[in-house]
Amino acid sequence: MRILLFFTLVFFGQVRMAFGLADALSRADSLPAYGDTLDLLGVEVFSFPVEKYAQGQSVIRIKERDLERFQGQAFTEYLQKQTGLFLRQHGPGMLASLTMRGTSAGHNAVFWNGLPINSPSLGQADFSILPVGGFDQAEILLGSGGALFGTDAIGGSVHLHTRLKFNQGFQAKVQSNVGSFGLWNQSMQAGYSSEKFSSRTQVYRNFSRNDFPFRNLSKIGTPIERHDHGRVLQYGLVQDLAWMISPKSQISSSLWYNDTDREIIPLIGSNTEDQQQDRNLRWVVDYFYFGEKNMLNLKAGLVDDELIFNVGSVNQTRQYFLSGDLEWNILPEIQAKSGVRQTFVQGNLSSYEAEESRTEFYHSSNFLLKENLRFSLNLRQFVYDGNFAPFTPSLGGEWMVFRGKGQELGLKGMLARSFKVPTLNDRFWVPGGNPELLPEESYSAEMGLVHQLEKGAFQLEQSLTHFQMWVENWIIWLPRGSFWAPENIRDVHNSGLEYTFNAKYKLGRTVFGLNGNYALNRAINHTDVNANDRSAGKQLPYTPVHKAQGQLEVERGLISTFVNHQWVGQRFIATDNIGSLPSYRLWDVGFRYQFPEKFFLAGQAGFQVHNVLDTEYQILRLRTMPGRNYQLNITIRL
Amino acid sequence: MKNVRQSLLLLAVVFGFWACEGESPQVPLGEFESGVLIINEGAFGANDGEVYHFTGGENVTADIFESVNNRPFAGLIQDLVERDGRTYLVANTGKVEVVDTGDFSSLGAVADDLDISRSLVVYQDKLYISDWGPYDSIFNSPESYIAVVENINGGAVAKKIAVSSRPEKMEIVGGRLLVANAQNMDVVNLEADTLASTVEIPGNPVKFLRIDGNLHLYARQSDKIFFHRINTNNFSVQSTIEIPLEGATSNLTLGRNGEAYVVTSTGWPDYDDAVAKISLSQGNVIDASIYRGSGFYGIGFQAGENRVFVADNNGFQGNGTVIVLDENGEEVKTIPAGRGPSGFVFK
Repeated sequence: MRILLFFTLVFFGQVRMAFGLADALSRADSLPAYGDTLDLLGVEVFSFPVEKYAQGQSVIRIKERDLERFQGQAFTEYLQKQTGLFLRQHGPGMLASLTMRGTSAGHNAVFWNGLPINSPSLGQADFSILPVGGFDQAEILLGSGGALFGTDAIGGSVHLHTRLKFNQGFQAKVQSNVGSFGLWNQSMQAGYSSEKFSSRTQVYRNFSRNDFPFRNLSKIGTPIERHDHGRVLQYGLVQDLAWMISPKSQISSSLWYNDTDREIIPLIGSNTEDQQQDRNLRWVVDYFYFGEKNMLNLKAGLVDDELIFNVGSVNQTRQYFLSGDLEWNILPEIQAKSGVRQTFVQGNLSSYEAEESRTEFYHSSNFLLKENLRFSLNLRQFVYDGNFAPFTPSLGGEWMVFRGKGQELGLKGMLARSFKVPTLNDRFWVPGGNPELLPEESYSAEMGLVHQLEKGAFQLEQSLTHFQMWVENWIIWLPRGSFWAPENIRDVHNSGLEYTFNAKYKLGRTVFGLNGNYALNRAINHTDVNANDRSAGKQLPYTPVHKAQGQLEVERGLISTFVNHQWVGQRFIATDNIGSLPSYRLWDVGFRYQFPEKFFLAGQAGFQVHNVLDTEYQILRLRTMPGRNYQLNITIRL
Repeated sequence: MKNVRQSLLLLAVVFGFWACEGESPQVPLGEFESGVLIINEGAFGANDGEVYHFTGGENVTADIFESVNNRPFAGLIQDLVERDGRTYLVANTGKVEVVDTGDFSSLGAVADDLDISRSLVVYQDKLYISDWGPYDSIFNSPESYIAVVENINGGAVAKKIAVSSRPEKMEIVGGRLLVANAQNMDVVNLEADTLASTVEIPGNPVKFLRIDGNLHLYARQSDKIFFHRINTNNFSVQSTIEIPLEGATSNLTLGRNGEAYVVTSTGWPDYDDAVAKISLSQGNVIDASIYRGSGFYGIGFQAGENRVFVADNNGFQGNGTVIVLDENGEEVKTIPAGRGPSGFVFK
């Protein structure tokens, strides 16, 4: 049984060692038949592994346990503290946009259970209204993913998933997180699953008064004051369902409603009292048919976003999705997936109304050329309202160069084109929107080394990637007369390095874990907006060239403790690189206690101190961030 | 020590005044009492307004407020007003910083109870600050006011005088405060600090000007500009110079010989900005475009040198640039400026 489980999971690409090479080897013989899945009981509800056709791409995998202590917090907090990624964060709980490989906020695609959830009007996601709790795990694919995932995935893509299992009986979980500045997050989860049916319901409420002290630099004597306008209240519901209709077919559905009501913390020196409410409803239903040599997936979805700014400005968008794809074995060495996705977008924004129909044709193939060599070829054509977005191919591969005793060394690489269609606001905003805008497009190349080592009680996985990317027709808004208007004006050359490592050492009952990330991102603007502009040849604003992060974790029995560190380099404030913000480093510490078996409760408790050294720092100029703060979290399982 | 310094500053101011009258200065001028101050408004959402100091050649000192006071200005500078050795930096983010005109050291501030401050005048040891008041839900400004502060170095707002929507520049005539609003002109009685009357003005008022010693109000509409001569007895429009000019902006500066320079903007789809040269005495446009470009955000005239300073915001992507022109629109030089340069003070 165990062998069968392993076999099937490997086949679906769900068990991949750190950098995606191991499964290449495990699939060496031939691709197994689809029917094998069906004997599985007590396994996860099937969902398509996002990185299956992403050979050569770097993946950050975030598991349920990694997210545990961030329960109820914005996903921003996890990414900022635990990865080499940088988010332009306007304050705790405030707007946070992700920059990947030196691209802008809209240059990464965000998915929830396979549905693209970037706002079609803004073209980006606010990571502060993606609370940990709306998903169980995440994968982040670094680098261009346009051929695989469609629009926006220029710098990378973020995939959030809920995970449901069959055959688990009744399960329930209550989580609570209390902390400084009025933080109080609660969530309740209950589920039941049998052999063929699974359901799980989660409700949560997250609150923070956010009244942290800050130095008011705009006033004489720079007094320490407390924010009185930063309250965040969030609540939501997640409902997952799955039904194994027959041994060959499965239907699953997930729904996520999230409501966030925020007082926007003003910039230092401003006295604004802005309010923002975001209501996001996402619903997806998947049907899978597992044939002998093929697999069919039909997917339907709805993403409904409402953003209300200061009561009067109401911005609503709704997206309907319908897609179908078929995966089959062309030859024993070639597996392919082809499909089509239809999206209908409706926008009812404060200044305009718009509708759009989008059609995407895509094809992906995996080639297993040799035991130690495999490639992915992806193709996509995206059509929006009769306009053809750039045809996007990508070719990636992984080659196991060396495999010795307890040691593996692999080489990976990818060539890709990506694109981003102009957002609804870019094209239709009144005044200024420009319907003639072209899609932004990029070309990228990357190459990396992957190394795994296992020696006695010591394990190490590390990878180093170098990338080059050229982004053209980058859209920026410029002041034109009495209003601003977007133009396809900027060309940017991005290049950089990503190094990541994960080491483990076991000494008796004690396990030491050390992991780290370093990211170097050069994002050089090649465009001056006019003859007097001094931006060409300079680093894009708020794109740190360097970010490093590392965490040491020690676990012994039921207790574990960690020290986490992040260092973010200098960020320029504007395109001409004249003003900048200094680098900063932050330390967090914490410990976690797993209740023993005989304890009257099942679960765990944790305590963390963030920004231990009470460092005063700004991620964005004049945007305040909290000093030392504390959190206590407890999880109880029933 | 402070008193001594203040006395010295006072002396400097007094002698500075005499110097203007043609006497030899006895005490050197303060660092910022010569040259040109470049007002950089700053970018919306960044609060990076600052003042630059240009003293000729390549000599530009950046961020003089922050470098003197060791803290960022942290606001958007809407106006800079000098009066009696004090410089008032009016931020539309709701504050007024008061600094010493000579060395830019902080003297005080109006830090609370302002909303969207626009300009300031000093009258009998009181500050009168025009303010749009808070926006309503559809971004109108129905609660505009003039804030009164009873200390020339700032402090608390003692009173708010309700005025018409969106007050901008002001002028004191006798015991009356004239307020150029978005749509009209208010007359405030300064004895009682109350709104006395509202005067309808053709066009959208911008600012007050002294033309041949007479008070005028510059106003504009899409295809023409107006210079309304204000009767200083009854505050009515006594006469008007009307000049046809397409796309005139609020950026206007008086030159010499009855000439003025106005920034125009075509708007969509070309977004061409230009500097138009007009004659007030002739009431006509001399040249609708002596200089063309984009992102023109402020204008000033350097008397003596007879140079036109045009502020270019460079699309607010980074810092701006000042383009120095001769009176015929020939580019003489450019000066690097801060974010969103919007105006000048020539010393």
